[in-house]
Amino acid sequence: MKSNVKSESESDNLKDIPYFSQDNTGKKGILFGNEAIARGLLEAGVQMGAGYPGTPSSDILPTLAEMAKYTESDIQLEWSVNEKVGFEVAYAGSMSNVRSVAVMKHVGLNVAADSFMTAAYMGARGGFVVISADDPSQYSSQNEQDNRYYGLHALVPVFEPSSPQEAKDMIKYAFQFSEEYKTIVLFRTTTRLNHGRGNISLGEIEKLDRRPEFDWDRTHWVCVPSNTRPQRKRLLERLEKIESHADKFPFNSLRLSNIKIKGKKYGFVASGIAYATLMDVLSHFELMADDFTDVSVLKIGMANPLPKKLMKKLLLNVDYLLVVEELEPIYEQAFKMLAFELGISKKIEIHGKEKIPQIGELSAEVLLEIIGEIIGKEFKKVKIPQNIVKIPTRFPQLCPGCSHRHTFYALNNVAKKIKKKFINCTDIGCYTLGQYKPLEVGDTGICMGSSIGLANGFSKLMSDEYPVIALIGDSTFFHTGVPGLINAVYNQNDLLVIVLDNSSTAMTGGQDNPGTGKSLTGKEVTRVLVENVAKGCGVPPENIWVQDSNNLPELEEKLEEAIKAQGVRVLVSRHVCSLIEMRQFRAKGITPALIKVDPEKCIGCQICIKKFGCPAIIFDFETQKARIDQIQCRSCKVCIDVCPQKAFYIDSNN
Amino acid sequence: MRPRDFNLLCVGVGGQGVIRTLQILIWAAFLDNHTVRTGETHGMAQRGGSVEGYLRFGTDVHSPLMPRGYAHAMVAFEPIEAIRRVEFAGPKTLILVSDHIIPPPSVYEKKENTYPPLSIIRSGLEKVSKNVFFIKAHKMAEKAGNARSANVIMLGILSGMGSKVLPIKRKSLLKSILRYVPKKTHKVNNIAFQSGIEKGISIRGDFK
Repeated sequence: MKSNVKSESESDNLKDIPYFSQDNTGKKGILFGNEAIARGLLEAGVQMGAGYPGTPSSDILPTLAEMAKYTESDIQLEWSVNEKVGFEVAYAGSMSNVRSVAVMKHVGLNVAADSFMTAAYMGARGGFVVISADDPSQYSSQNEQDNRYYGLHALVPVFEPSSPQEAKDMIKYAFQFSEEYKTIVLFRTTTRLNHGRGNISLGEIEKLDRRPEFDWDRTHWVCVPSNTRPQRKRLLERLEKIESHADKFPFNSLRLSNIKIKGKKYGFVASGIAYATLMDVLSHFELMADDFTDVSVLKIGMANPLPKKLMKKLLLNVDYLLVVEELEPIYEQAFKMLAFELGISKKIEIHGKEKIPQIGELSAEVLLEIIGEIIGKEFKKVKIPQNIVKIPTRFPQLCPGCSHRHTFYALNNVAKKIKKKFINCTDIGCYTLGQYKPLEVGDTGICMGSSIGLANGFSKLMSDEYPVIALIGDSTFFHTGVPGLINAVYNQNDLLVIVLDNSSTAMTGGQDNPGTGKSLTGKEVTRVLVENVAKGCGVPPENIWVQDSNNLPELEEKLEEAIKAQGVRVLVSRHVCSLIEMRQFRAKGITPALIKVDPEKCIGCQICIKKFGCPAIIFDFETQKARIDQIQCRSCKVCIDVCPQKAFYIDSNN
Repeated sequence: MRPRDFNLLCVGVGGQGVIRTLQILIWAAFLDNHTVRTGETHGMAQRGGSVEGYLRFGTDVHSPLMPRGYAHAMVAFEPIEAIRRVEFAGPKTLILVSDHIIPPPSVYEKKENTYPPLSIIRSGLEKVSKNVFFIKAHKMAEKAGNARSANVIMLGILSGMGSKVLPIKRKSLLKSILRYVPKKTHKVNNIAFQSGIEKGISIRGDFK
């Protein structure tokens, strides 16, 4: 069968004009989840977007910024200093009647929550959508909080897509919905949606080009209780109105079946990726296809408010209901409550978390097994022999040439030299990986900015015994580190803040931040220097050090000085991220110096491996000598200073 | 024949081009008018950790997640990474392994963390599937003109083994490869793809 697919021709150059930046309505292709979301934002006529990078949401804004270059639309986009500021920047757009979006990962919404909770009262003027990318299984996050709860908490609707195509269509619809009900919409995705590709058919790009208009109604936009008390009432009424229309919500759907399987009628409920997995499972057992269904299924596209009428129809139609939801039992509780209200809780079996795991993403074979057992059809689970071969672990690690490794190595050396143990409060970024072997630098860490906050606390209790150190990256310092530093100055806490400045938001893919001198849209801007901020916060100039992280002897010297000093100290250890440096070398046509190991000098002590641990240094167990993997080496030259035998050298013959 | 669902898994180490390979495959499957979904490792992928990509396509595919034990094919760019994700393979799964070793840093931590010999890895994989093939993909790629085209060698082998092993048209696969590799490497990658196909044809009789 030949479908009329208009696929992109080979000659289209992906890098120059991504086909999804142009109108191309009806054109089919493949898009990555985050690209599909960005395309949806473009189709919706969004005029303002802000956020802070965070896996798995990081590519949405840069994709939109890239696409905006090829369209005539004027879209205001920025990397904000943190999610709270990002939320507010975008919300000002909504207040000014233009469609706006705030983008963040799930824990980012914790940072923005203060604004989010009260903005929910005020609602939206121009369509306003907050994207929260959740991370079940914690692929790249410190927790797996379920942000559907934020919708319940703030009394705002929550949309949840189940495929890239639906994500694109749904986010476009979300803006229309937001304006219709004057509500903020929380758009919740999960990693498998953001970081997965799928078929897509492009829609029309709405060119709204609205002129921003300030709204002078201060009784609406100022959060004094006399304004927000009546707004709370309106908020509840708004949600009630949405709920009364929820059964008509285009991304909710109910398929009913009267077929009995072994005497019972079965029903299933799911949303998001769990819905997609449920469809695969039902299809595997041949319970459902396009043209028939042997079981009833409610697909939820709006997680809050729930479609009570559809839920009621489902409950009254089945004998057994399985709520298939990842993470927390939100739908399950709602169904149990509704069954109670309907007085049928004794008649119907409702199952959820006692069968479906509450931890991690819901895997296909787990659901196959559970549903197979329920309907009495066997899923032939393939038995895998356990531990067939013992293999070494492979954790993510600091890159070859990473400047953070140099700071941590120097820090360990100073600790050894002055015979002290440090309390190293680390933070969120690539440098969190320093807590793994062999460096093992990093004793505490909770969230963005927590290093300085905790260090303030520890320093009050035990800075006499242990030097208290906060380790924080440049982007994280700007994000939520600065208030902790001011707190230390104000409260005269005795601590050292080491800012690991690799001039990049590296862990999420090297995005720009106030310290890089470049904006999201690629504009050259004022570079905010950490040392200037520290000075402005009241750190005495003699307690501020700035050092190139790749000069090991000087770094150790300055670190020792900073650790021995008293009061609030800030040491900026600065060297650009080695991934970016390599790209810069390539762009400038610079051939990095060739580093080698002299086998005559190498005594096989393995300090370079067991203490320093650069992945480009390989130890040959046969010859008992170190060597350099030239493919990995980024020519930082720090190993030359690490080796006590001076076995590493620059091969200038090359 | 169009499959209802075809599950393929690519594994390797950050920087080896696992995601790019998956991207080539998904576009090729799209050119063949399949419904496609992928699930990919991003974020820490450039930090030298294990990377995996899941590709599903066919007439009846919804989720990016495939059931463990039900992969039709696993392409491993690093031997121990094949073991790490072997739970996705079953008795008939094609397990195609590039024999290029990248030892993880943990081998230096303690004596027990040794990198197992290839023969042990092979016999371990053979306990799971009867279709295990080790490929000197790097050597073949170097011969073709560029060690970086090892991924294309592996794709060529998949294609050479026939449509039972990979139900994607060869023409579509080549079209997709040339779409994703830099223009100046088209010649090398064409050679690499052809040499992969030849290798695939030569071993297809061993696929049970």
